Order: sequence, then structure tokens, then C-alpha cells
Amino acid sequence: MSAAVLSADDDVFEPTLQSILDQKTLRWIFVGGKGGVGKTTTSCSLAIQLAKVRRSVLLISTDPAHNLSDAFSQKFGKEARLVDGFTNLSAMEIDPNGSIQDLLAGQGEESDAMGGMGGMMQDLAFAIPGIDEAMSFAEVLKQVKSLSYEVIIFDTAPTGHTLRFLQFPSVLEKALAKVSQLSSQYGPLLNGFLGSGGQLPNGQNLNEMMEKLEGLRQTISEVNAQFKDENLTTFVCVCIAEFLSLYETERMIQELGGYGIDTHCIVVNQLLFPRQGSNCEQCNARRKMQKKYLDQIEELYDEFNVVRMPLLTEEVRGKERLEKFSDMLIHPYTPPE
Amino acid sequence: MPSLLLVVLLVEVAVHFVNTIGAATINNILWNIYLALPTEAAKQAAEKNKLQKDYLAIRRDLNATSSQDQFAKWAKLRRQHDKQLEQLEKLKASHDASKAKFDRTAGIIRWSATSGVKFVLPWIYGTEPMFWLPSGWFPYYVEWILSFPRAPLGSISIVSWQTACAGAVLLFSDAIRQVILSALEAKSARKQPVTATPKKEPTPVSTAEKSEKKS
Repeated sequence: MSAAVLSADDDVFEPTLQSILDQKTLRWIFVGGKGGVGKTTTSCSLAIQLAKVRRSVLLISTDPAHNLSDAFSQKFGKEARLVDGFTNLSAMEIDPNGSIQDLLAGQGEESDAMGGMGGMMQDLAFAIPGIDEAMSFAEVLKQVKSLSYEVIIFDTAPTGHTLRFLQFPSVLEKALAKVSQLSSQYGPLLNGFLGSGGQLPNGQNLNEMMEKLEGLRQTISEVNAQFKDENLTTFVCVCIAEFLSLYETERMIQELGGYGIDTHCIVVNQLLFPRQGSNCEQCNARRKMQKKYLDQIEELYDEFNVVRMPLLTEEVRGKERLEKFSDMLIHPYTPPE
Repeated sequence: MPSLLLVVLLVEVAVHFVNTIGAATINNILWNIYLALPTEAAKQAAEKNKLQKDYLAIRRDLNATSSQDQFAKWAKLRRQHDKQLEQLEKLKASHDASKAKFDRTAGIIRWSATSGVKFVLPWIYGTEPMFWLPSGWFPYYVEWILSFPRAPLGSISIVSWQTACAGAVLLFSDAIRQVILSALEAKSARKQPVTATPKKEPTPVSTAEKSEKKS
């Protein structure tokens, strides 16, 4: 019965991620979904598969609870590092909350006291919702731009986070446009107060700061344009065949559509395929429930590549197991009879 | 100048009419009339109503569908629901905007046709006598007040005429309201007990007539 389900939509939208491998223009790939559905495993697997067909691949985790290190059994940090056993696959973990502190601390380091205007700017910066992630995002992108990776995979934080994260470019762009406009209007006035050098009390320079902000804005708008280009960016949704996960996935797909971000792949993870005549009561009951939601997914997402991944009896950790698992993203899993 | 006399009276009546009914009510009535005409706004309003009906139907369907048992159907309905809600909100906003514009225009026209005329007329015809008083009937100070501010002595100025008209209109309207109220009262009283006297209307009418005569 499960084999019948697997080969059900073999017509146009094949149940694999082959389309992502084939789409050579892709530059940014996001992998997202509810917590615990296997985003990290999926993104690692996808990265492994992509590494086979691309020149260089970078895997970035933006999830504060970093799992890349766990998955590859290797420590990753803020700098991109080659994954053991690969020549063209690197990984890095960034902390969305850490980098804004670094950034702001770096700005004010000429003066010891972060008083006056500096403190105000910091408060202001923290007051904008989500600016921390956006800033770290911008930082990462600046780094990534200078390194020349052919494709970059983001292992994002659980759903709500992801969406906010993707929204920032537009939010920040608006906010920064306002700030820039204000500064160009009142800049002369402020400079009158501050003297010809435009020195702020803590040793910063007003014009310099505004230039920095303007630069940030430009970077972000560029990124924004790239994310909205379906030739460059796609989003892979990972879910499990359960109601809440499905619900979140639907919500996410709608929101992504609202932001104009392309998505055409869904990975349904942790599916149970009990052997014929298995008398495991839980497995059979769960299989039945998953089947129900799988049918719903098939009906609802008929224009998506829906990949079905089995729940394994072992943890998917380490290079070999990940490679084995990743193979199933491309060659559909056939359950043992 | 009998026509001017009449105009001033009519203006007073109009002002009083607007004040009693209320500007908002008049605007609403005008707006509904405007919507009944084959205009762009009317088309939009019809569209909005249709969409609202569709939206409510979908919402009913959505509420009747179990999201757990028929997720695909539910999600599809949900997508439609969200899309229509967005459209509806957009339409509503544009509808509200056109209504606000209409209200503003109607308000300006209404004000200039009533209060505006009321202020402008005395300014233009301030020096013209409305009609002359028979000479010698009234003492000097009465004549002076009646011709206030700029009309020749011994005549009725337009301001005095306006004041008189306003007073008369007020009295008339009070009288009419009283008649209507008591008529309604009598009707409801007749409905309740059989013992109520059947002829109750004439009494208030006669008092109203008295007050009319007074004015």
C-alpha cells in the first residue's frame, strides 16, 4: 500500500529534490519548518547532495540551538570551515543575538564610556524589532559575498523565527530609508551643534555613522531583491505528517508567497513504514494517521515536489549516515516488503 | 423686495431643518441616493456587498470544516478566506475614502447653501430696507433697533427680518413637533386600554393653533 502512495504522483512533480540540484542558478536555499522535524538533517543531506554537483557549497545555521556540529560530529564556529571528508562543503554557525553586540561594541570602542549618543543609538537599535537578526544577517551576507560559494544553504530556526528573519530586509529597508532621510534633512542642523567635524560625544562621527547605515541599507535591499528572485532563491519546507506541523507548513507557505519568496519543495520526514504483517500496535496506528495526512498533503500541494523520508531506526549523525540518508532525497525510498 | 423677504425666510427654514435632522443624517441620505445612481461608487459598493456575502459564506464553510480531518479542504478554504479578506479590506478602505470625500463635498455645499447664504445676505443687502414701517407708529428707539445695523431709519433691516423669521420658524417647528408627539401618544393610548377616550387629538391641536397665532 505504501508503495502505491509513493508512486502516486510520478507524473510532473516527482517526489525528489532533483529539481533543486538541476536548477543551476540557485544561490540561496532556505530549509525551514517546525522545531524537531529534522530541518538540520535535511539541510545537511541537501548540502551533501549539492556538493556532488556544484563547485562549492556553504551550509549556514542561524538556529541559536546549533545542531550542525552535532550532525557532522565536528565543531563549527563563526568562520566557514570545511566539513571533514569533503573538499567543497563548508559549514558555519552564527548566533543571531551575539553579533549585534559585537557590532555595536566595535563601533564605540574608541571611547571607553558608552555614554550619551552612543548609548542612545544602542537603545534605538535594540528597539527595532528583529534588528539583531537582521544585522547579523547583513554581516553574514557581507562575509558570504566576499567568499565565492556557488550555493548557500541556510538551516533556519523554527518557523516563527524564520519568517521574521526573512521579513527583515523589507522592514529594515523602510526604517533605514526614514533614518537616512531624517539625517539628510537635519544633518546640517546637527552639524551646527556638533561643530564642523560632526563629532558625537563618544568619539563617533555623525556623517560616518550615516554612511554606514546607508551602506547597510544598500546591502539589505540588494539581498532583498535576490531573495525575491525565484531563479536565485528557494525555500524547502520540512514537516512531519502531523496536524500541527502541516498547519505550520501551510501558514509558512502562504507567508512566503506573501513575501514573494519561491517555494516548491516539501520534505515529509519521519514517516513510518512498518513491515507487512507487523504486529507493532503503535507503528500501525501511527502509520494510519500519517497516511491520512499524507493524502491531504498530496491533495493540497499538487504543484510541489513532495519528498517522503522514512523514520530510521538509528540517529542520522556522522558523514556516512548522512550520505545514506541524503541519497533518499534524490532516489525515493522504497519500503521493504 | 418681496422675493428677498421670501429668500430669507426659506434660508431660515432650511437652516432649521438641517439643524433638527442633523448633518450626518442628511449626508447619509444623500450618500444612499448617490449610491442608487449609476455611478462608479455605486458599482464599487455593489461589488463590495457581493464580496462580503461570498466572504461570509466561505467563513461559514471554513468553520464547518474540520481542520484535522479534512486538512486539504480546510487549507484551500483558508487560502480563499485570506485572499477575500484582503480584497474586502482594500475595497472597504477605498469605499470609506470615497464616502469621506463625498461627505466633505456635501458638507461644503450644504453649508454654503444654508449658513453661508445666511451670513452673506445681510452683508450684501445690509443697507436695503426690507419694508417700511408706517411712520410715527413706533418710538425712535424701536425704529433704530429694527433698522439695525445699516438700513435707513424707519425701515426693517435684513438682520431684524432674519431674527424674526428664525423665531417664527422655531415656534412653528415646536408647534408641529408637539402636534405629532401628542398624536402618537393618543394612538398608543388608544391601542392599550379600551377605556381611553377616543377623541384626544383635538385638544393639543387647538393649543398648537394658539401658539401659531401667537407667532
